[in-house]
Order: sequence, then structure tokens, then C-alpha cells
Amino acid sequence: MGIVNYLAHIGIMIGIYGILSLTLNFQYGFTGLVNFGHVAFFALGAYGSTLLVMSGGTHFLVGLIGAFIIGGIFGLIISLPTGNLKEDYWAIATLAAAEIVRLFFVNEGWIYGGPYVAGPFGIRGIPSPWSNVIPTDVYIFFYLGLVAIFLLITYLFLNFLSNTPFGRVLKAIREGDDLPKALGKNVFSFKARSMGISGAFAGLAGGLFAHYVSFISPYNFQAIETFIVWAMVVVGGIGNNRGAIAGAAIVQLFYSSTRFLKDYVPIDSKTLASVRMIAIGLLIVLVMLFWQEGLIKEKKSEYKNKLKRVSHD
Amino acid sequence: MTDTNNTLLSVTDIHKSFGKLKALNGVDMEVEAGSITGLIGPNGSGKTTLFNVVTGFYKKDRGHGKILFQGTQIDGMDPSQIADEGIQRTFQISQATRKMTVMENLLLASKQQPGESIFNSFFRPRLLINTEQDQLRKAHEILETIQLEDLMDEFAGNLSGGQKKLLALGRMLMADPELMMLDEPTAGVNPTLTNDLLEIIQKLRQDTGKTYFLIEHSMKVISSLCDYVYVLDFGENLTAGTPEEVQSDEKVLEAYLTGQTS
Repeated sequence: MGIVNYLAHIGIMIGIYGILSLTLNFQYGFTGLVNFGHVAFFALGAYGSTLLVMSGGTHFLVGLIGAFIIGGIFGLIISLPTGNLKEDYWAIATLAAAEIVRLFFVNEGWIYGGPYVAGPFGIRGIPSPWSNVIPTDVYIFFYLGLVAIFLLITYLFLNFLSNTPFGRVLKAIREGDDLPKALGKNVFSFKARSMGISGAFAGLAGGLFAHYVSFISPYNFQAIETFIVWAMVVVGGIGNNRGAIAGAAIVQLFYSSTRFLKDYVPIDSKTLASVRMIAIGLLIVLVMLFWQEGLIKEKKSEYKNKLKRVSHD
Repeated sequence: MTDTNNTLLSVTDIHKSFGKLKALNGVDMEVEAGSITGLIGPNGSGKTTLFNVVTGFYKKDRGHGKILFQGTQIDGMDPSQIADEGIQRTFQISQATRKMTVMENLLLASKQQPGESIFNSFFRPRLLINTEQDQLRKAHEILETIQLEDLMDEFAGNLSGGQKKLLALGRMLMADPELMMLDEPTAGVNPTLTNDLLEIIQKLRQDTGKTYFLIEHSMKVISSLCDYVYVLDFGENLTAGTPEEVQSDEKVLEAYLTGQTS
């Protein structure tokens, strides 16, 4: 694997985590929902698409649509019992929900038959889409393109939505329930829709991940993944969609490049894995100290010019 | 206040307890359509609690009492449903969004906004743009009225205390409800701005015939604005009448003097 292939690999991971980061940013950055269980959508999307393709025999794209729908439904379901919880309790509830999802896949091996598969063993041999038509040596670039397209779709969709009147209500909810409620907004419904929409796209990221790595196990979906995505949102800039992608890129590059440190510093690879997490923690601390709003600040919606255009009509 | 046909809001025998504390103990009140009705009382007498119960932020105690608005029973409804029925309120502590501008606040307040549906956002862009432009024009007029035009692109959180109160009034006008409930609209506002605010409210009332229900501590505001005043003390109706009647009522003076200082 040459350096170019490795870069393509990092690109794919940035794309997949970029989608996760965009969706978490939609929930936290725009709606103010402190979701500590974002990895649940990722897991459900990954398993959903895998099972549809491998057990159901459907096409990859059907698997992705399935991942999208499962993520969306889970987003709606999770907001039903938790919709009226305050910020911190919401965080605890979502953290627990993600653990429930993970433990479900640890314990319920029947979802995919056969000895030593599913459950804690994971599922291997997840097919790569169109691998029979794309030559092996360029396949990784094809997949990079595929991920880039889905990242772009997610970005355009969520960015558009955050600038509509719908997004405006989300921004009001972010600052507390009382004002939007007093203005007649059904806060509960807005929160549920925000979770549903972003959950669907996060599920999509899970599907893309599963068909890329071709092996998934509950081990891939531990709570730490959620916090890596959080790091991306915080570093990139809360409430800014481009920031979310930039954050995903920075954290992912940081994470991947520290992998090579073992050639230069006398630390064994096991310790280095932990050091990497410390480094990400340090990155967050630095950002909090010097760029409180992240690398790219939230855009302010300005109306003076729009108003001029409107009144001259 | 006898003509029931003209009653916009009627509150009957409302109780509200927080644990053992009885914040409201059988309160009755009527707000006549087109009036400016005041609500006064010493600190802790239950004024804001009553506002919270009427607007659905608190649930009244079960078992007795009811709240009618335009003949519809509204106790038990959610705050957002009550707002849809046509009651808007402001908060004692201004709700000013840190990251939303003054203009965004007004646009947020408009009712019947089709763009708040995700489906419409994607499939009916024309409708979205047209309503947004109409709202923008309307919001601009309101900003002129409340003298915040120059600050339209400023974050609401950066406004001064008085300007926040004006913004709260502006949001109400944008929503255009039947009944506007103002919780201490002039508290913390400097005298000049207070006068402006009073003028604005009086003018709006003449122009639009809307109904106002407001909590105030300042007797000056009460006597220059209100047609009728209710006085609460320890969660019960103490008295009611025109501002002049209430001001000369010895019970009121006593309540204010023996209670906590206001």
C-alpha cells in the first residue's frame, strides 16, 4: 500500500466521520441537543446495511437506504421518551441508549447465523460494492469518490435546512425551550425531527463504513467513537457545517499521523494508542483555550442587505 | 367587569402549590377585550406564577378552577398550544438569544410560518421565499416602531436591558396575538425608554385594539396605562378597581408596607 493509497484511506475516513460530525453538529450545534450516544446511529447503520446486503441479499444501495431509514427511525424513537429532558439528563439518556445498542449486538448473535459470527465475533466478509467491475488497484479511489458524494449530499442537505425557518426554530431551541414555547413552537416535535433527520444521515455513514472496512463488530462502536466525533465538532466550530467537516479532517489527520510516531519515538504501539487519545484531548484543550468557537465560527444571519432587496422590489 | 360577552380571558378559582407553599390560593380574574389590565402586588404575591399558569408553563393544581380564553378552556394545554390560541407573553427576565440576531428573533416569532415544515423547505421553495419576504417587511415595520431598526443584525444577547424589553414587545407584535401578557415590561428600563415604551403600547392599543395584561411595580406605569387593576397578596385577590381606586385603598398600602419591600 503506497502513500497515495494511504492518503485515499484517510480521505475515506474523513468523509465518513465528516458525515458523523455534520450530523452531530446539526443536533448539538444547531438544536442544542447534547447527544452522547451518536455512535448508536453509526452502529445501527453499519449493521442495518450489512444485514440487508448479506442476509437479505439486496443491493448495496438498498442497504444504504436501509441504514438511512433505520438511523432516522432510531433518532425519532430516542427523542420520544427523552424529549422533555433537560440538557444533562438528555446526555446521560443518549449515552445509555448507545450502550444498549452496542450490547444488543454483542449479545444477539442470532441476527446473523453461523458459528463464531455475529455477537462479539462480529461479521466479516461484508461485500464491497461494485468490486467486480472496478479494478482492485483503483478501487480505493472509487470508494473515496463515493464517500465524497455522500458527504456532499449530507452537507448540502443539512446546510440548506439550517438556513430555513425550520433551522431558525432549532437555533432558538438551542438557547432554551421557554422562548420557542412561548412563541407557539412545538419544541418536542422540532427536537424529534432534528434527531430523525440527522440520525438518518449518521446511519448512512455507518453503512458506508461497514462496506468499506468489510468487517464490523460491536468493538467498533464503543462510546469513545462518540467522543471522537465530539472532538471534531468542537475543534471545527460548533454551529458551522463547514467547520464540522474541517474538524473531522483535522482530528482524523491527527489521529492517523500519530500512528507513524512509533517509527520515531521509543514508545511501543500499545502505549502509543493511548497517547493518541491523550493528544486528541490536548487538542480539544488548546482549541478551548485559544479558539473558543472552533476554527470556523458560526455564521451570523444578516438581514440588512436582504431587506434592501426586498423593499426595492 | 360584568359584561361576560366582552371577557377575553377569565381565570376562576386557580390554585397552585409548590410543595407546601401555596403560591396561588383561589385566584379569580377577568381581562376585558380591548383593555389594558394591570396586575400588582408585593413580591412573592403570585403574579408571575399566575402568568405562568395562564400560559401553560405551570400546570394549575387539579380539582378546582378553570381558565377560559375566548370561550375555550386552555388550562391543561401546552404552552405552544396556548400561544397558538392567541396568547403571547414576555418573561420577567428577558429571554434574549445569545446567537440569534434581533431580526431573527422577530422572524422566529411570526406565526403560520410554512417554512418551518421540512417538506415545504424542499418542495415549495416559492412559498417559502414569498412568506419570508412578507415577514421581513412586517418585521422591518415593527423594528421601526420599537426603535431597534439600526440593531437588526445585532445579537439579541448584546442588547441593553431596556432594548431587550423592547425586543420582547417586538416579538409579540410580530406574532400578533389577541392577548399580550407583559411581565414587568419597564423593570430595569431607564425613564426615557420607559416613556417611549408606554407611548408605543398606548399607540398600539389605539391602532389595533389589542388587549394587554401586564404585571408592573411602577405605579406611574399602572396609572398612565391601565383601565383596571387587580391586586394580589399571598396568592389571593386582595382588591381590584381603577388605578385611582386601588391606589387609595388602604388594604393595598398595608399589603405593600407589611409585606416585603418591593
